[in-house]
Amino acid sequence: MNRVLTCAFWLAIALVLTFITLPLAVVVAASLSPSSAVTFLPWEWTFDWYGDLLADRWLQPFLLSVKIATVVAGISGVLGVLAAYAVVYERIPGSTAIMAGLLSPLSVPQIVKGVAIVLFLSIIGLQGVLGTPALIAAHVVLALPFVTRMAATSLANFDGNLDRAAQSLGATKRQRLQHIVLPMIKPGVLSGVTFAFIISFNNIPLSVFLVRPGDTTLPIAVINYLEYSLDPVMAAVNVASMIFILAVIFLFEKIGGFSAQLHGGSK
Amino acid sequence: MNSFDIELVSVSKSFAGIPVVQDLNLQIPRGEFVSILGPSGCGKTTTLNMIAGFNTPSAGDVRVRGKSQNRIPPERRNLGLVFQNYALFPHMTVIENVGFGLRMRGTPKAEIGQAVDAALRSVRLDGFGSRYPKALSGGQQQRVALARAIAPRPSVLLLDEPLSNLDLKLREAMRIELKEIQEQLDMTFVYVTHDQEEAMAMSDRIVVMWQGAIAQQGEPASIYRNPATRFVADFVGRSNILSVRRSIPGPTVLELCIDGTQIVLRSDCAGNSAVQSCCIRPESIALLNGSDAGAGGQNRLDGVVRRIVNLGAHVELLVEVANGLSLTVLVPSSRSSLVPELASTVTLGIDPQDVQVLSD
Repeated sequence: MNRVLTCAFWLAIALVLTFITLPLAVVVAASLSPSSAVTFLPWEWTFDWYGDLLADRWLQPFLLSVKIATVVAGISGVLGVLAAYAVVYERIPGSTAIMAGLLSPLSVPQIVKGVAIVLFLSIIGLQGVLGTPALIAAHVVLALPFVTRMAATSLANFDGNLDRAAQSLGATKRQRLQHIVLPMIKPGVLSGVTFAFIISFNNIPLSVFLVRPGDTTLPIAVINYLEYSLDPVMAAVNVASMIFILAVIFLFEKIGGFSAQLHGGSK
Repeated sequence: MNSFDIELVSVSKSFAGIPVVQDLNLQIPRGEFVSILGPSGCGKTTTLNMIAGFNTPSAGDVRVRGKSQNRIPPERRNLGLVFQNYALFPHMTVIENVGFGLRMRGTPKAEIGQAVDAALRSVRLDGFGSRYPKALSGGQQQRVALARAIAPRPSVLLLDEPLSNLDLKLREAMRIELKEIQEQLDMTFVYVTHDQEEAMAMSDRIVVMWQGAIAQQGEPASIYRNPATRFVADFVGRSNILSVRRSIPGPTVLELCIDGTQIVLRSDCAGNSAVQSCCIRPESIALLNGSDAGAGGQNRLDGVVRRIVNLGAHVELLVEVANGLSLTVLVPSSRSSLVPELASTVTLGIDPQDVQVLSD
């Protein structure tokens, strides 16, 4: 009986993993096909399509996406930590309401949010900020709940005695924040910041309303391209951005993100 | 010049209208090892937190070396603190942990190094400096916490049940060590605990707290020998506590008529006719042989042995001396040849000086 269950368990895991990764494998295979039609399991291999990625058509959107995602990760990281600090650590009045407000963007569909932001900007006469500034602001709104939530959870798990110990040793509030609180919640914050980066980098539903024509983010460039053609260049773009995201996750992990959190804090 | 390190002057604290500490007056002289002893919920940790500055008194004044601390935040009080759960910084090595206090004050590096070395030496942890707390045992972690607290040379060290998470053997060894460290540093220690043995073993003075007030304070021996109240007699050590129906002050002794019985006990204590209860420590009750008359003036009670429990070092007897009244008697195992059979009749001898009058 036990063995049957074990087998079923591993089978389920294998199926889920296959379901998640197989489409990606198809994309990877397609990007390597020498034929200009998208095929799975091509008999010959080529990296030619990847050469097209360095053309301005892809390079410019990629650089814009990276720029926006980096700024979004930075801003939402700082704001998220500050918000969590005020709400969880300082317990300022109205904490619950503030937290609910900060998390509320999660409950609005992104398309609705996109339309709302465009309408709002045109009503207050700020259509001029469409493009990078509007994208950054909108992505921060989108990413902030994740960073705040993660930082708040880390802070809630933070042992108050550590803070009191530091205080009795003469550490001022600023010193405690710098030397004790931030290092302790760093894994959670880094995870949140990684999410923020990826959320911004991959976003379509919001960005589609906010980009300027001719100056788009990578996912929007992909959508635009897909309207007219489906070829291995497309697959190559997607594989490249997948590799890029993996590299970002790896980088944050190195600094001390996910795995440190999984293993219960640093060291 | 005032020689008290810490003074609590009519300090009260209530949380959400519920009084936790009430009108507490306490003076702790410099260099003394003082234990605040009491059951959980008696207000001892709240008292410690008020000294440390984490709780603000609702009324009254906390003074350190004569200066009122009510407006001084914890980080400027220069008091060391040791916690039950150690509260070591997990992302710092032992050296970084111990040096933290001095680093925050901007002490020069070389001085920090020396102070850290000295602190680690005094808790016998030299050579462990580069480890992280996770790589240390519970006892070692508690030593690091102690070293961290003493490295900045605070005027007073506050310890909140620091040994409670350690196993018995280690706890007993650490008691002696703590006392030695305290004497060596000549630092004032305020030690909060619910463990009366711990308090007995280390303290120069014990402050027994109950229901937010001081029930009794004094040297460990005098608290044990002369408990003032029913609560102290019951909480500190083991006691036979007897209700008194009537007490008759005589020229030299006080005669206590024990409630519900014909027994009259003579006591050396001063007391009036309002005495309600008295206590007798189990080990101060002697088993008398038939031929042994006992010292003159001794209380003598006959009773039947109802239970015998071997405790290793002692044998504990439960002796029924009257209907509904049994006394617990402790006999050292070395004298176990004296221990009678179950259900046999014995004579108990109790010196009048061992019958302690209690107030409620």
